[in-house]
Amino acid sequence: MDPMEPFKATFFQECEEQMAELEAGLLALESGEGDGETINAVFRAVHSVKGGAGAFGFDSLVKFAHVFETALDAMRSGALEVEPEAVKIMLRASDVLADHVLEAKGQGQVDCARAQAMAEELAGLTSGGGEPLEEPGDGSVEGEDSFGFTPLMVDLDEAPAARAPQADVEEPGGWRLSFAPTEAMYAKGNDALLLLRELERLGAHDISLESSALPEFDFLNPEASYCKWSARLPGDVPEADIRDVFDFVGDDCPLALIHENELIKGAAPPSLVADLGLAPALASALDDPFATTPAPPPAAPVDVAALLSAARAEAPQPAPKARPAVKDAPAGEELHAGKEAGKAAAVAATIRVDLDRVDRLIDLVGELVINQAMLAQRVSEANLARSSTVAIGLDELEQLTREIQDSVMAIRAQPVKSVFQRMPRLVREIASATRKEVRLVTEGENTEVDKTVIERLSDPITHMLRNAIDHGLESPEERVAAGKPAEGVVRLAALHRSGRIVIEVSDDGRGINRPRVRDIAVSKGLIAADASLTDEEVDNLIFLPGFSTAQTISDISGRGVGMDVVKRSIQALGGRISISSQPGKGSTFTMSLPLTLAVLDGMVVTAAEHTLVAPLTAIVETLRPKPNDVRRLGPRGAVLAVRGAHVPLIDVGVALGWRPNPVDPAAGVTLLVESEVGGRAALVVDAIQGQRQVVIKSLEANYQRVEAIAAATILGDGRVALILDVDAVIDSRFLEKLESQPLAQAS
Amino acid sequence: MPAASAIKVLVVDDQLTMRTLIRSTLQQLGFVDIADAPDGEEGFKALIQRPVNLVLSDFNMPKLDGLAFLRAVRSHEPLRKTAFIMLTGRADADLVQRAIQFGVNNYIAKPFTAQALKAKIEQVFGALT
Repeated sequence: MDPMEPFKATFFQECEEQMAELEAGLLALESGEGDGETINAVFRAVHSVKGGAGAFGFDSLVKFAHVFETALDAMRSGALEVEPEAVKIMLRASDVLADHVLEAKGQGQVDCARAQAMAEELAGLTSGGGEPLEEPGDGSVEGEDSFGFTPLMVDLDEAPAARAPQADVEEPGGWRLSFAPTEAMYAKGNDALLLLRELERLGAHDISLESSALPEFDFLNPEASYCKWSARLPGDVPEADIRDVFDFVGDDCPLALIHENELIKGAAPPSLVADLGLAPALASALDDPFATTPAPPPAAPVDVAALLSAARAEAPQPAPKARPAVKDAPAGEELHAGKEAGKAAAVAATIRVDLDRVDRLIDLVGELVINQAMLAQRVSEANLARSSTVAIGLDELEQLTREIQDSVMAIRAQPVKSVFQRMPRLVREIASATRKEVRLVTEGENTEVDKTVIERLSDPITHMLRNAIDHGLESPEERVAAGKPAEGVVRLAALHRSGRIVIEVSDDGRGINRPRVRDIAVSKGLIAADASLTDEEVDNLIFLPGFSTAQTISDISGRGVGMDVVKRSIQALGGRISISSQPGKGSTFTMSLPLTLAVLDGMVVTAAEHTLVAPLTAIVETLRPKPNDVRRLGPRGAVLAVRGAHVPLIDVGVALGWRPNPVDPAAGVTLLVESEVGGRAALVVDAIQGQRQVVIKSLEANYQRVEAIAAATILGDGRVALILDVDAVIDSRFLEKLESQPLAQAS
Repeated sequence: MPAASAIKVLVVDDQLTMRTLIRSTLQQLGFVDIADAPDGEEGFKALIQRPVNLVLSDFNMPKLDGLAFLRAVRSHEPLRKTAFIMLTGRADADLVQRAIQFGVNNYIAKPFTAQALKAKIEQVFGALT
């Protein structure tokens, strides 16, 4: 194996993160929300991709990233204005960069012409800044010589790590000073920052701010002075130089200055020691430099923050708009900012775990749930009192098991962001292919759902977005003519609703052309010419197999996939999809999916001596029909009257081929179920055993696909039960096949 | 002639890829004590906790970039003498000039080979054994 292989994997993983950051940053800039820090982050993302790519020798990726980086650098330095056109070009460049990354990964090929054109466009942004795909300057050799820089040698024995840090911190022999500017000093327009800068020039270190005198905000007098600074200076700085710094502020800024040697000699006036804020313990420690003092914590957090902020203030501020407050802010605010940053870092603490391990854990917890259920069953069979310790202990175990299961599921839960993030690019591409102006608005990106569901969300969302832009939105001219803004809005939203995740894709386009949909459905023989359908039913005709409204199959929505395929793939996940539309105002696709594909709340039933599980989400109600509510339709069919409406009765035992003839519905129990377009149906079963949460085991993975069965599970008593695919059972085509079988046998 | 194994190193880079790469390169060269940090701020905190002999730091990082990090190291007396080698992605004249001004010991342009890194470190510490 290539020794670099594991590093490459890390690199590509990081690339994905960088690319996401890049796109998010550019989108923020496009919408005018970005600031200097956003430009920095965007620049860093490209820069990092380039850096890593260089290490692995991905030359074309490096070259393109270099051109991109150059343009971003110009934006960062202010040479290139942050205006929508430039950002749009960069967004497209980020797509090309993503292609390059994919190519480096060995997944696809970059369209060289497109990349070249893009590179030229980027170079054009920086007013023709050189040949586009030119080799990035190989600075390692050339660069050094041009500076005539001689590396600074270090004697290892003198290097700080060789010595204990505390010894350094408390090494006496330097100056200690503290100063407290008065109101008068500020009133004259002087600034403590200037004093600090001067002191720093003299080599001041360990500068710290004493801000404890600051009152609560309500009591703060903006013209009063509350802050006090202390610092240390190397002992060899002449005292006069230090006093010179404070010369022009004079009495307006009292200065306490002392040499540590004097402290040791005990020559320092006690008042001065107090002014310097030297704790008595510290002062006495200084008396005897050889005493082993309890070392103060190696670095008080304030010190780190103060040092860092000092370093920051002097560091180049590459972004023109990068928080101008930093330089002039009072030191107190800086310290605060430093702490905030630390807090943010702590919040984002995460670990990367191999997905296999999580899956293994989930499998194990699944087994645990089954074991617990089996145990519960044994105990109940033993006829123990509910109050027996075993029963109580078992109840607690059940509770715990549930909690463990929920927590484990939460590990796999991920925000839908990872899918949503890929969509802006798609929308840009479709928009430019269809010559429409589109703005994508996303909502609820942080909605969490199981990882397995996330992976399968991408295709349906992609298809719905394509459909919304290609069919839903009008051309800019049509929109303007209809009194709408030329730019169409497509909204992609995710939310949780009653234990499911709902994804909505809506557009503000023309809405569904119902007469045309109806005509097509009639002409394709999908509905009878005189069928009376509600608007909603007409809208949902587009999900029927074989329905496609596009007159010519366009490259965008076409691809040979109709909405029926989308619908089926969503149903395979236990999901539902529907559409609602308002002519002239737009359409909304609503797709709902279970939050997890690992467990299911189900109703355990028996039919023809088989145990089955019906998903609870599909069941509207359960009832025991009265004999006169059942109406026969022909030799085999029957309907059930439920509160004035008639629903088809389906005998589950017959539907699954377990018995030849339906039982008397009045003798069994019926489950009134609902599917998204198949409407309602009453499923006849023999008995209901109860409700429980079951762990889904794939039939396809362990056996093979079985029609009308979604999956299998293991019940508490160890039996395998099949999970009913309610939509498939109701599906008219499935029923027709059933109807035709006996006839075929008869003939 | 210092032994590579005696030199404590801190690698500071915001990219995990680069940190792992540099770490493995250093290991190839015989370095043993290698710590790392994702940005200047974390790097500085790490140094306060536990000083090292050599810092290898990237320039472009979030929170606290390489220059500010270098400056922080140089202005904190206990760390002042830490050897500091800046890793630069670009041969940026201005950047390198500033780093020199702030007392950088050496610098190296990314990407680099193990031999190039070794040479840069030897320019600072003398030949490694």
